[in-house]
Amino acid sequence: MSTSEATVAPVRAPARSETARPPRGRRVRRALSSPIAYLFVAPALLIFLIWTIVPTLYTFRVSTFDWNQLNPALSEFIGLGNYSDMVSGATNPSFWQTFGVSCYFVIANVVVGTVLALVLALLVRRTSRIMVAARTSFFLAYIAPGVATALIWLWIFNPRFGLANRILSLLHLPVIDWLGDSRYAMLSIIIYSVWHEVGFLVLVFLGGLMTTSGELSEAAKVDGAGAWQEFIRVTLPQLIPYVAFVVIISSISSLQAFTQFFVLTGGGPGYATSTLGFQLYQQAFVLGNTGYGAALAVVLFLITLVLSVLQLRISARLAR
Amino acid sequence: MDHRLTSDHARPIPTNRASRRTVLAGAAASAGVLALGACSSGSKGSDSGSSEDAVPRFDEKKTTTITFMHAMSAGDQKEALERIVADFGKKHPNVTVELQDQPDYGTLQTKTKAQVGAGSAPTIAQAYGNWASEYADSQVIVPLDAYARTNTDMADFAEGVKKDIQLSDGKVWMWPFNKSVVVVYRNAEMVKEEPATWEDFAKIAKDVSKDGVVALSIDPGSAKGPAGGTALFEILAEAMGGPVFAEDGTPQFDEEGGVKALEYLVDLKKAGALAIASGYPGQEALGAQKGAFDVSSVASFPFNEEAVGGAFEMGVSALPEGTSGAANQLAGTNIVLFADASDQEKAAAWEFMQFITTPEQQASWAASTGYLPVSASSLEQEVLKKVVDERPWVADAVEQIDTARGLPPVTSVTEASGLLSVALQNALQGKAEPKDALADAQKKAAALR
Repeated sequence: MSTSEATVAPVRAPARSETARPPRGRRVRRALSSPIAYLFVAPALLIFLIWTIVPTLYTFRVSTFDWNQLNPALSEFIGLGNYSDMVSGATNPSFWQTFGVSCYFVIANVVVGTVLALVLALLVRRTSRIMVAARTSFFLAYIAPGVATALIWLWIFNPRFGLANRILSLLHLPVIDWLGDSRYAMLSIIIYSVWHEVGFLVLVFLGGLMTTSGELSEAAKVDGAGAWQEFIRVTLPQLIPYVAFVVIISSISSLQAFTQFFVLTGGGPGYATSTLGFQLYQQAFVLGNTGYGAALAVVLFLITLVLSVLQLRISARLAR
Repeated sequence: MDHRLTSDHARPIPTNRASRRTVLAGAAASAGVLALGACSSGSKGSDSGSSEDAVPRFDEKKTTTITFMHAMSAGDQKEALERIVADFGKKHPNVTVELQDQPDYGTLQTKTKAQVGAGSAPTIAQAYGNWASEYADSQVIVPLDAYARTNTDMADFAEGVKKDIQLSDGKVWMWPFNKSVVVVYRNAEMVKEEPATWEDFAKIAKDVSKDGVVALSIDPGSAKGPAGGTALFEILAEAMGGPVFAEDGTPQFDEEGGVKALEYLVDLKKAGALAIASGYPGQEALGAQKGAFDVSSVASFPFNEEAVGGAFEMGVSALPEGTSGAANQLAGTNIVLFADASDQEKAAAWEFMQFITTPEQQASWAASTGYLPVSASSLEQEVLKKVVDERPWVADAVEQIDTARGLPPVTSVTEASGLLSVALQNALQGKAEPKDALADAQKKAAALR
């Protein structure tokens, strides 16, 4: 294992000292058979149980009912009825329309966010004062509350008095109804989302870039590689675990995105920005179709589960 | 750490296995109990509200706290409501009214439902008729027929208000609070004469829409929540042929009134006399002198006055008439009383609800907020007489309470109105012809019933 390979994985098991410790399987068995260990983890397990496991199980149960949110005693068991409505597209908007809108948002947001974050990380990787200020400004957007920043962007996108159209006017370009025109509404949401999230992704890539081998880059340059070739052939391969991490984490957070849709468009115009996450809220808490909303939550849970397993597998494989 | 693990491992294995099983079984049992608890926490027996015909006796000496979930959380409305609560506190020192502020009606609706579902309903809350219908269907609010019979001010309520507090079963389920109708605000320096008909309105709107001015801006809202633009469309439909909902809540979106109203709005948009934005775009454009009109509730008056800031004279007039005559929408909410409250809380809440509708409080509330008083005798109070002297249109607006039409108090109207907003957006964007957009919404709305 080379030095560079040993430093690239974002999630890596500590260095093994095989001779000093018993085999892993034995250690796991020993831990699982200790009542004391269970006592130590009990508080954390209890919190996890109350706030995560039970609500999740409860959601599975609710999804099999025509649920009365106001008075659960009046709920009616309908088995897989909500899932059947989902597959047949019987709701407004249909599940498939919502799923398509979600895929559009996730793919665009992840691709644009990842590429932009990588470019920005490369630009600000040096530690001059200006670069540090730039990194801070990216991260400030990320830590600013979503609702507050979305409200500011609501004004930026205002078709008559907003900054975005002011800039277009100054450039003698036609103005756009950013949030009110279904051709641009999702684009506007993606612009906001990338602006808000990119700071975190830049931070991940900066962390990755700090672990890349300077010696390999130097060697490539000595061998006559240009900056682009050096990046593509030497730096990027070392960053692959970070790219995988960013893509999967961004996919999960994009799937669960809600605030920007709630504040900026309310799922509209029409249903142009009605994602799975937004419809889940809309159906469960506004329209009173709580059972159907719970079924959407179950689907979202399963997609997230698949992505999480994928992330764990990729991380494990890259760490080998 | 390793040492301790080694020591534990030395214990007899069966015991350890049993311990592990016990712990896991305990965890599973706990999960089950918690799940069942969660399932039952919001459950209400089907007999909730069964004491509907009895008005609980109010014990004045008993210390009682009631909660009021509302959306009057900004500006003059917040101050006026807090004043009502303070005045009530002076009269009933043992009753505390806790105000639970919500930023807007949409949040109010979702928070109320979430709290009721979680088994911690407020004692009373503001509600529209279609929300109240859903609450009544779910047996979580108390019918107020028996309560209303004990009230002496109700006889003086406007007929429109008396009707507005009933659900489709003809029973009183709500008590009036903040009622309003829609009026036309205009830049009186840009538009000298108030438009008498919607035809006049369109002609003036097209004439003044130039040099950066767009006569009217509206927000249709979305499926999440219809906004003022959808309310304007509903009024136009009634003025141009017929309402978009029948009395029983049956949608009739694609009939003559709806189609003509949407064609009217699309025509204004194509002529550059109508802009679409979210929030309160009419108010913002009027204040910035980039709009000639704002068509909105009488309760917008203090906000519009603030937006204009004395920069020009703001005219206020009744809505123009359409080919089918005058039409307006009775908006604003009523108050519902939740069934989970104890008898003493219900009694205290009922005292508070009645206090709100006394002529003195109604006059003070209307003078401060721009909302309309629910009883004619409120207009005889000095504070409101002064307001009417300054703004004669208020007296006209009060008269319209009897003729204005509220949305039918039917549960399916909530989702159907969202579909209507979507139809408006599609037609105004040019994605569909008005008739087709409404026909699609009609088909979906009809399936909800």
